[in-house]
Amino acid sequence: MKRFIHYDELARDSRFVRQTNLLATVLATLPDDVDKVVEAFWALDPMIGKSVKGTAAEPLYDAYGPAFALVALNEPLRADDPAVKTRLLMRMHGIFAGELQALEGAGRSLWDFPEAPWEFKMNMARQCWDEARHVQIYEKLLHHVGGKVGMFPETTFLFECACADDPAMRVAGVNRGLEGLACDVFRDMIRFADETEDEVMKQAIDYVLADELTHVRFGSEWVKEFTKDDPEYFKRTQEYQRQVDKQFSFGGSRSDRKDAAIPIARADRKEAGFTDEELDELAQLSGEGPSRKTMRAASKIMRERHRERQRKEREATA
Amino acid sequence: MTQSRMYPGTGPDEHTTFAPYSAFDIPADLRELYGRYDVEATARRVRNFRYAEEWMMMIMGGWLATIPELPVKTGLGKIIWETAQAADVLGRRLPELRCGRASVAVSESPNEGFAEFIQRAAEPESPDLTIEKLVGIFGVLKPHLVEVYERTMRETDQIADAPTIELLDDIVRKTRRHLAWGSDVLDTLADTDAKRERRRQRTETLRGLLETCGGVSGELAHA
Repeated sequence: MKRFIHYDELARDSRFVRQTNLLATVLATLPDDVDKVVEAFWALDPMIGKSVKGTAAEPLYDAYGPAFALVALNEPLRADDPAVKTRLLMRMHGIFAGELQALEGAGRSLWDFPEAPWEFKMNMARQCWDEARHVQIYEKLLHHVGGKVGMFPETTFLFECACADDPAMRVAGVNRGLEGLACDVFRDMIRFADETEDEVMKQAIDYVLADELTHVRFGSEWVKEFTKDDPEYFKRTQEYQRQVDKQFSFGGSRSDRKDAAIPIARADRKEAGFTDEELDELAQLSGEGPSRKTMRAASKIMRERHRERQRKEREATA
Repeated sequence: MTQSRMYPGTGPDEHTTFAPYSAFDIPADLRELYGRYDVEATARRVRNFRYAEEWMMMIMGGWLATIPELPVKTGLGKIIWETAQAADVLGRRLPELRCGRASVAVSESPNEGFAEFIQRAAEPESPDLTIEKLVGIFGVLKPHLVEVYERTMRETDQIADAPTIELLDDIVRKTRRHLAWGSDVLDTLADTDAKRERRRQRTETLRGLLETCGGVSGELAHA
């Protein structure tokens, strides 16, 4: 078995559909400019249209065009939102896929770094079990809210961004970047479960969040350990983590901004070993993307364009 | 009235009257001193066992990403952790066997043949080879380890080496659960004659390699 695999090699059963990671990467680079957001997303339209075929996202694509992902990602989960069910299913499925990739990332850390210290291997082995349970939990929660595995396309973006070929960067990416994002998302899910009085969801995710704090802590400790005698290496690792955090902010959807769909879970992250300075930096870099107002305006333009295209297609075939 | 002595004095007429049975008589201790392995031999075996457990844990970790069957991925997660715990507890026994404090993370293959066997077990990579992957661990290596661990428990000094027996006993208990899971999964996956043949062939190949190198302790042929 070779060391270091490409994200395309993540194996899935026949229920899964894969979507290119470009969408998420593009999101991380977008400015707060309606035209530029439209331009970037419209260019991805053929790819988005192809990847949703036969999934639960196809009707959303038909209704909104390539902007449906923007609409889903950038709006917070609110119980009184008419589209809450769709948003919840998309988010739940995204989390399930993220847990799957976190499981694979932890497993690969065992195989990719055979010379790593024993305690590191123990931490990663424990994380394998935790992530495996999280996959099981989210599969059940997905059913709990009326969804099923494979109903939306999966992007392997999280694995691609987080699984560096260097051990310090791997833990910075997976354990601090990806698991840190999980803390933010799960705290928001607990808030939603509270709002909807869903005790099953609330309790299960609260346990998962507790595990994630431990995983972030593994990351915080191993980044320090791996880079302890090499300040330059530490700096490179921090820079790598900044890039990962920027990408995992989805253009500001996860940030400290007032219009963020997912706020940064400061208290949880502090408990997991993030410093105030690191959290301020995260808030700053994650808040740089397009505002929700910009995203809504861009979505509206793309929806109109999409409808116009559909109208023309209907006329052509009539 | 003469009072019986509660505490022994310095002379033979100053004994207490308490019955002289030892703690080992309740219940009767049928264990005997002396086993097949001395301290050095046990330490070597523990390092060998640790080598197998550590590599299994790393190999299964690597496979999580390339196995498409979801219940197999999630099932392996717990087995990886328990296998890591087995390696860990074996490592923690080493300093107790005069291997030095730094020996907790030491693994040692009994010979080059066993190291080669491990690498052959780790070979399957592509997503259509779940059967070949699982056979190596659950059809060949773990059953072999259970056999060797149980033999070690029987043959080592039952009193002096009891800590090794205790830890192996715990590992065997969990490994039997892994074997039951692996067997169920393989029965489900190998659902055609062609797949059953793949399972059989892979088992035969790896068993052959294991026997040639003498297994985890290098002494299979002499057992």
